[in-house]
Amino acid sequence: MSVSLKANDNKPEPIAYSEAALRNNAIVVEYCRTSMSALSGSTAGVLGLTSLNGFAFYMFAVIILWVMFMIKAGPNWPKYYVSRQSILTNGFFGGLFTYVLFWTFIYGMVHVY
Amino acid sequence: MSFPRVLLTVGFISLFHSAFSAAQHRSYLRITSQEFTTLPLDIVIQAVGSLFAVMWGVMCIAGNLREIQAAAELNNSTWETQMNLPSFYIFNHRQKALSSEYVQTSGKGDLENPE
Amino acid sequence: MVELLLDPKIRLWVFLPIVVITFLVGIVRHYVSIILSSQKKIELIQVQDSQVMIRARLLRENGKYLPRQSFAMRRHWFNNEETGYFKVQKRPSNAQNPMTDPGMMTDMLKGNVTNVLPMIVIGGWINWMFSGFLTTKVPFPLTLRFKPMLQRGVELAYLDASWVSSASWYFLNVFGLRTIYALVLGENNAADQSKVMQEQMSGAAMAMPPDPKAAFKAEWEALEITEHRWALVTAEADLLLQNNVS
Repeated sequence: MSVSLKANDNKPEPIAYSEAALRNNAIVVEYCRTSMSALSGSTAGVLGLTSLNGFAFYMFAVIILWVMFMIKAGPNWPKYYVSRQSILTNGFFGGLFTYVLFWTFIYGMVHVY
Repeated sequence: MSFPRVLLTVGFISLFHSAFSAAQHRSYLRITSQEFTTLPLDIVIQAVGSLFAVMWGVMCIAGNLREIQAAAELNNSTWETQMNLPSFYIFNHRQKALSSEYVQTSGKGDLENPE
Repeated sequence: MVELLLDPKIRLWVFLPIVVITFLVGIVRHYVSIILSSQKKIELIQVQDSQVMIRARLLRENGKYLPRQSFAMRRHWFNNEETGYFKVQKRPSNAQNPMTDPGMMTDMLKGNVTNVLPMIVIGGWINWMFSGFLTTKVPFPLTLRFKPMLQRGVELAYLDASWVSSASWYFLNVFGLRTIYALVLGENNAADQSKVMQEQMSGAAMAMPPDPKAAFKAEWEALEITEHRWALVTAEADLLLQNNVS
């Protein structure tokens, strides 16, 4: 056994992930992302952003959320996420739809009438 | 009430307040028939600041992240949990025939499989 | 383009009620479908069958780690002509037509009642109650192609495409609040219609109980042709060899 282990040491060791923990983390990220989309949409509506400014604000909010996740996980993020990029990009367009709805809603409430 | 919940509540109230301020500002401009350019700076700052507060509160409430490595949770479990193997339970051991209270059942066992 | 000025009362009596009604209807539908949903009853005999199948499969795959006699004993228990489990058990073939099964019928009916009916009734009611209002304006410019989508019920040729009519605002809410339901009610909630539809499409094949008779026959054949080849023949030699190396 020891011989075969030594031979394998050159290769990167395969890491086993726990699926339940992965799913739990994905749910947490999804929860935060949905809330973030709704809240930033509301804020964009309050601020009265129109057309491209609003979409830029969405990008801004996504990046802020990502930074917050990084702060929360701290320096040892590989313990919690497989990759950092996937948090940035996952569910981008699903969130965008929620964002647009709330943006339209609050914009209508505050600025149209 | 814990700190994130306070933060969440205060942030929501502050966001609503800034929304009402913005609506008031719009109606004021409309009454005085001025052109709308941008919101006053204090409303903008209040809205964005409360957005950050609420986002941080939501993130704290959303739940803890769990470590994704499969070994991380196994390290915490005890020897008794590890050695509990349901496949090796014995319900029908033949040593019970040695007991003085043993009554022989006829034919097949209580369970359908005669193992 | 002259800026339209809307009556603030529209905001209070049309715009806001549509959002609130849509949201609350989604919540109510979630709880109603929880009430109506019937837990699938699992028969004891089905569980037994599936466990036997699992055991037979394990024996086929991992039988090489058993001594020959142990393997033969287990296979005999499954496959013997007179007393083998696969030979003795007689299961009625229950390949049923879903239309004749009353349980399936009521399930489908309940699905329709909780999903399609509120959609039609509430949509029709909103259309009738709040017809012909311009409610809001999307804060970004849109092309003319979006006019029929966003201005249902208001046919004005010269209106800017970014104005939204009340009926369209309802549909935007129906589709846009889906993620909020996931937030409020938790994952896999019943208010989310698209997921339910997907489950109906894919779940139909899986929910049908597999025919145990055919499965037993297949498993019997597979076991019958399994050849026992003991994997641990060279175990002692391997152990000694390793000790020599280290």
